[in-house]
Amino acid sequence: MPQSPTIIEKPQRWDQPLDPQLNDDIASRLIQLEPFALMDESAFSKNVPLRGILKNDCRLIEFNKGDIIVREGDYGSSAFLIVEGEALVSLKKIPQSVLGRDPVEPKSFMETIAQLWSNSKHSEARNFETGGAPKDDAIGERVDDGQTRIFLHDIPRVIPAGQSVKLHKGEIFGEISALTRTPRSATVVANTTTYILEIRWQGFRELLKRNDAMRLHIESQYRENSLRSHLREIELLKDLPQDSIDTISALTVFESYGSFEWNQNFQSTKQKDIAARVLSEPVIAQQGEYVDGLILIRNGFARLSRSRGDGQQTIAYLGKGQAFGLRELNHNWQTSQQRPWALSLRAVGYVDILKIPTSAVEQFVLPNVNSALLPPLFPEADMISNRRKVSRAQSLDQNLMEFLVGRRYINGSQAMVIDLDRCTRCDDCVRACASTHDNNPRFVRHGEKHDHWMIANACMHCMDPVCMIGCPTGAIGRSEETGIVSINDGTCVGCSTCANSCPYDNIRMVEINNAKGLPILAADHETPILKATKCDLCADQASGPACQNACPHDALVRIDLSTPDDMISVANR
Amino acid sequence: MNSNTSKTEKSFTFAGRRKKYALITVAVVLLMAAVVWLLQSRLLNSSFFTGYVFIGSLFFLAGLNLRKRLSFLPKIGSASFWMQLHIYVGLSTFAMFAMHVKWRIPDGGLEIFLSCLYFFVALSGVYGLYVTKILPKRLTAVNEEIIFERIPAFRQKLAAQARAIVLEACETSEVLAKFYSNRLIYFFERPRSLAYMVSPSGSKRRQLVGEIEALDRFLGEDQRAASRKLAGLVRQKDDLDFHRAIQGRLKIWLFAHIGVTYSLLIVAVVHGVMAHAFSGATP
Repeated sequence: MPQSPTIIEKPQRWDQPLDPQLNDDIASRLIQLEPFALMDESAFSKNVPLRGILKNDCRLIEFNKGDIIVREGDYGSSAFLIVEGEALVSLKKIPQSVLGRDPVEPKSFMETIAQLWSNSKHSEARNFETGGAPKDDAIGERVDDGQTRIFLHDIPRVIPAGQSVKLHKGEIFGEISALTRTPRSATVVANTTTYILEIRWQGFRELLKRNDAMRLHIESQYRENSLRSHLREIELLKDLPQDSIDTISALTVFESYGSFEWNQNFQSTKQKDIAARVLSEPVIAQQGEYVDGLILIRNGFARLSRSRGDGQQTIAYLGKGQAFGLRELNHNWQTSQQRPWALSLRAVGYVDILKIPTSAVEQFVLPNVNSALLPPLFPEADMISNRRKVSRAQSLDQNLMEFLVGRRYINGSQAMVIDLDRCTRCDDCVRACASTHDNNPRFVRHGEKHDHWMIANACMHCMDPVCMIGCPTGAIGRSEETGIVSINDGTCVGCSTCANSCPYDNIRMVEINNAKGLPILAADHETPILKATKCDLCADQASGPACQNACPHDALVRIDLSTPDDMISVANR
Repeated sequence: MNSNTSKTEKSFTFAGRRKKYALITVAVVLLMAAVVWLLQSRLLNSSFFTGYVFIGSLFFLAGLNLRKRLSFLPKIGSASFWMQLHIYVGLSTFAMFAMHVKWRIPDGGLEIFLSCLYFFVALSGVYGLYVTKILPKRLTAVNEEIIFERIPAFRQKLAAQARAIVLEACETSEVLAKFYSNRLIYFFERPRSLAYMVSPSGSKRRQLVGEIEALDRFLGEDQRAASRKLAGLVRQKDDLDFHRAIQGRLKIWLFAHIGVTYSLLIVAVVHGVMAHAFSGATP
């Protein structure tokens, strides 16, 4: 019997608005407000009109006085506009405990020893007294319209007068973090009853694209506050004179490729044929085309590939701070040739880049840079198909590289890699993990395999921690010092946002029990209390990651996959 | 973020480590032999010296198991480091034993028993060294990675799937159902025999898959699809049994090695006490 295809409406961009309750009436009122009132509606495309952005990419949120709007260190993909009221930006570093996080201190020697007898006999046992409420008495927790809000009882106690900046109606904040996927640089608290318009990054980018004044304002802020210091951090540019940096900064172009929400369709993308998957990745630079500038990766990852037959072969991957195109630019400058890109650069997930135009590189960078930092010229023969010499990737197996990039394991800064040819499946790693986590293992010795390598289901402490986006209480946070992403059990409300966001299924929601092993239930006596759990890299243990220390066969390692170096070292042992 | 993999430094290789530890082991054994020779050349009894070094080494070797249980203790070295010490100290005990018994076969009852215990533990250690290098590769060659404790649950799941396929297929023909009840039901629902556990092979798998394929000419199109699924399940079950046999061997070996170690330690202490008690005026 012939089978007929399933017919559905073609999915549209705004099938799922950010806030289904934001109707035409509210959108009409928002459009009267600055800065939207100053925008030219005709500058927006028919498919993505200004009114549509307000209705679908925005959410109107009411905050009470003292409510925390954003926390320092949080990741997010939204900018915020004050519609009514006033907010305070704290210039003071607010203690982690106030932000809902639990600063992790290594256990003392006696506490370490005591784990021998003090670990619970029951799984996921919690002290009932500290099972839910935030620990710091400066903050309170309430549920408002289904949303958990953390608030400061007494704002001046936490943010003293003179240590904050007031934001008023019509002002935008959080835009740099939203556009660059970097942690929020300050905590913002509602100073009165405040209405905030949250604008998700897709809509915000559209606003910038269609409104020059807004774009120039945001870009100038970024150039002023961040870009110069960012450029100075790059090895190639760090010794340039200040006026050259200023000029380069003014000429640098910002571009973004791919989607911030790459994690949402990651599982389905993974099922695709690898050739189709690579070809569907947004192209940043195309092999064989004109070299128009030096590309610096500001955030995210990019795949370096070259054409092979009808497909693309991965040569290497680039991460934050790495540059692409220097070899071509140097070659063309020194030989007066016009050699095109030798390789293609594609966005894996999402990538933010900075592009320094060719003319600026030739005028300010190449003449002034130490020649030892410049790559060698291309040989004369075999102009375009010449393989790029990427020293980091030289000894990493081609298929392993494809596996790591294709499955986005390159996101992991502390991935658990197991050499199955050495692993005797003794589970000493799992027992060690359990013994340092009150008898609850925080990973599963299972995961995707490539050849004799397994990437186990353990938190990788990602470079792009999408799990941290949307946590209502700030319970999941990243340590500035160590980069470890950990969950504060005390402030986790069990909403599962982080577990649902993790593209690698490395966060588990567990039902907690009391010290006697009986379930802890909500006040309705039926709903079990959930907590998000994951590997914390034994942050509170002086011994470091117990799993790695416990492996007697050198099979299990915790390594940084954001660059190939660690993997090459492990593979070449 | 700093990488925690001090052991993944670029200069580190397993071959380099083997060479280094092997050289140190040979040097230590030669040093001990020199001390024994010196004692004997001065007409002193070297037995207490070799005995104490030997029993000390045995306790140190047993310490690996303790180290594994104290994975959270800092600054005591990784389990991998302890395992390397365990291997090389373990190998050097052959020389210690030979020097202690003065290259003769022990003659007392207790001494023979103690020697047997020692050789069981030492040779099982050598066997363990061999199987921990060889068997992981055989497990890796199997497509599926299976956690040992979950094998019974997987077996039940596969058996239920096989049953469901056959029940569905037997609505139109009983060929597959009869074959299942005659040839497959025990295969799916029971663990494999002891002979398979000792020496796992793919012969049963090949045989059953061959028999299933041979049924094709008696089956309709739908039932052929069912038989192919059944053949797939046979392969999965065989993989499961293979994991059980190999992982089981890795666990049983360790269980035996550690279990007899405790007996060895106890008897060695008894032997030491008796040696002191009956040493008399021996210098």
